[in-house]
Amino acid sequence: MRRLLTVLLLACVAAVVVPPYAAQAHNVLVGSDPRDGATLTAAPERVTLVFDQAVRQGYAQIGITGADGSSWADGDAVVAAERVSVKLKPLPGGGAYVVGYRILSADGHPVTGKLTFTLAPAAAASPAPARATPDAAATPGTASAPEAVAASDAAGASGAAAEAAANGGAGMAVVWIVGALVLLAAGTAVALRRTPPPAPATPGTPPPTPTAPAAPDAASTTDPAAPGATDSTGAAEAGEGVRA
Amino acid sequence: MSVAAASLARPRTGGRLLAGAFGVCAVVAAVAASTFTAQEAVPGIPMPGPVVEVGLPVVRVLLDLAAVAVVGLSLLPKLLGFDTPDRTEPILLRVRPLAVIAAWAWAICALLTIVFQTAELNPGVVPTFGMIAAYVGTVGTGQGLLFSAACALAAAGIGLMAVRFGEKVPAELRIIVALFGLLPIPVTGHAVDSVWHDPIMVSMEIHVMGSAAWTGGLIATVAFVGPHRDLLAVTLPKFSRLATLCLLLVGLSGLVTGLGTMALTPGVTLPDAIVTSHYGLLVVAKTALVAALVPLAAHIRFRLLPAIRTGRATALVGWAVAEVSVMGLAYGVAVALTRASIA
Repeated sequence: MRRLLTVLLLACVAAVVVPPYAAQAHNVLVGSDPRDGATLTAAPERVTLVFDQAVRQGYAQIGITGADGSSWADGDAVVAAERVSVKLKPLPGGGAYVVGYRILSADGHPVTGKLTFTLAPAAAASPAPARATPDAAATPGTASAPEAVAASDAAGASGAAAEAAANGGAGMAVVWIVGALVLLAAGTAVALRRTPPPAPATPGTPPPTPTAPAAPDAASTTDPAAPGATDSTGAAEAGEGVRA
Repeated sequence: MSVAAASLARPRTGGRLLAGAFGVCAVVAAVAASTFTAQEAVPGIPMPGPVVEVGLPVVRVLLDLAAVAVVGLSLLPKLLGFDTPDRTEPILLRVRPLAVIAAWAWAICALLTIVFQTAELNPGVVPTFGMIAAYVGTVGTGQGLLFSAACALAAAGIGLMAVRFGEKVPAELRIIVALFGLLPIPVTGHAVDSVWHDPIMVSMEIHVMGSAAWTGGLIATVAFVGPHRDLLAVTLPKFSRLATLCLLLVGLSGLVTGLGTMALTPGVTLPDAIVTSHYGLLVVAKTALVAALVPLAAHIRFRLLPAIRTGRATALVGWAVAEVSVMGLAYGVAVALTRASIA
């Protein structure tokens, strides 16, 4: 019992010593431009969502849907640290719009949500930068100018690079996994062939593997034959690993 | 003759009943709780199909079940002790191959979970190998599951050596490898962005390891040692001490993690969020389930254990099935909890 407690304690120490990857947390929407429920007098050019911390690159989606189900997003969502934005087609005035989003949270969960805004009937179609009062959390200057977009693109690219560097490559891990799978599959096959089934220990139970015809064959084969026999299963397992 | 046949048949049905009750309760609770907390469809955003919506919680809970089985079956040699090999060896001969199979199932479920999570992030398409590699390359959850799968395979390898060489393979090594494979599992859950991140993660690790040792140990002990009253009289008291420790650790760490995560998430005000957010409701459900475990565990500990110590027959299997069913429900709710929205 004391040794068992020691083992548990060791495992707890390992839990402390091996830091579970990085400090990655759950993203929460803290602000947006335009704000949720806002009534705008001019059509915005972009929709920007602000989260409490950096959003993961690559999986962010924003959709802007009109009351009739039409889609108004122009292009893909752009991630710049904690801001996710998307350009808009020129919105016709006098309608309600739903902004739906789905981002990948820093701790790896998809986070979905929606907010709405209304465009006043007299709103100009496309010109004029949005005069929508930005949210307290949203800094001004995100809603216009191509250089802002370029800057956010650059930030996105470097952000992706930093993320990749922080996480390390997955390639080696896959190689290790596949190698381990092949070895283990071979080991499983060899061990299950060599060890007698536990039938004699528990009389009255049928032997679990009805490989009676194969048994004398396996007994007669010499050692060099065993790896050859297991290779096919090993290859199959490796294939499975690749597919997975 | 018929008496002997009955006494041989009973342990098998008892073990199957335990494992079946645990598995069915966990899967049903996982699917029900995940459906209840599913993120509602948002206009303009494609959402994953029903195969992913149902398949992901099922695969994820099967991963937990397999891990619990590996931990429990690895603990069993330690609980049985090594002093009477002539009596324990027949049991362990059945346990060791099962541990290997469970470890394989664990690894396969972990890899399948990666596939399903990739599919969840890429709605509407069947994930390709490139997409899965990109997911594992960029998202910590994928790497954590990969590490867990690797540990499960290591557990399978050590289990195979145990099948071959018996108890010459140290039982502690098997336990520690199995527990090590549980370490990355909390990475797949929620996390907070604050100085309390690491304490909450450690609390989460203790929660996961404690619940696996408690549940797995109970199922393995009752299913395999239950029919042998002489061994049970020695083994169950040992397990009971471990279970008491686990109950305290699991309850405390669960409350710390659940309430801490909610308190540290921006935009969440605590007393209200417990009943308004999905996450809070699931924390309440899990707390209720653990509270329901206490009287069941106490009955086994204080009413049945004295009789078992003296070698008398008890209704242990029935009470254990009840306890394990509640544990299964808690495991199912846990799967939904790792994915529910906090705010």
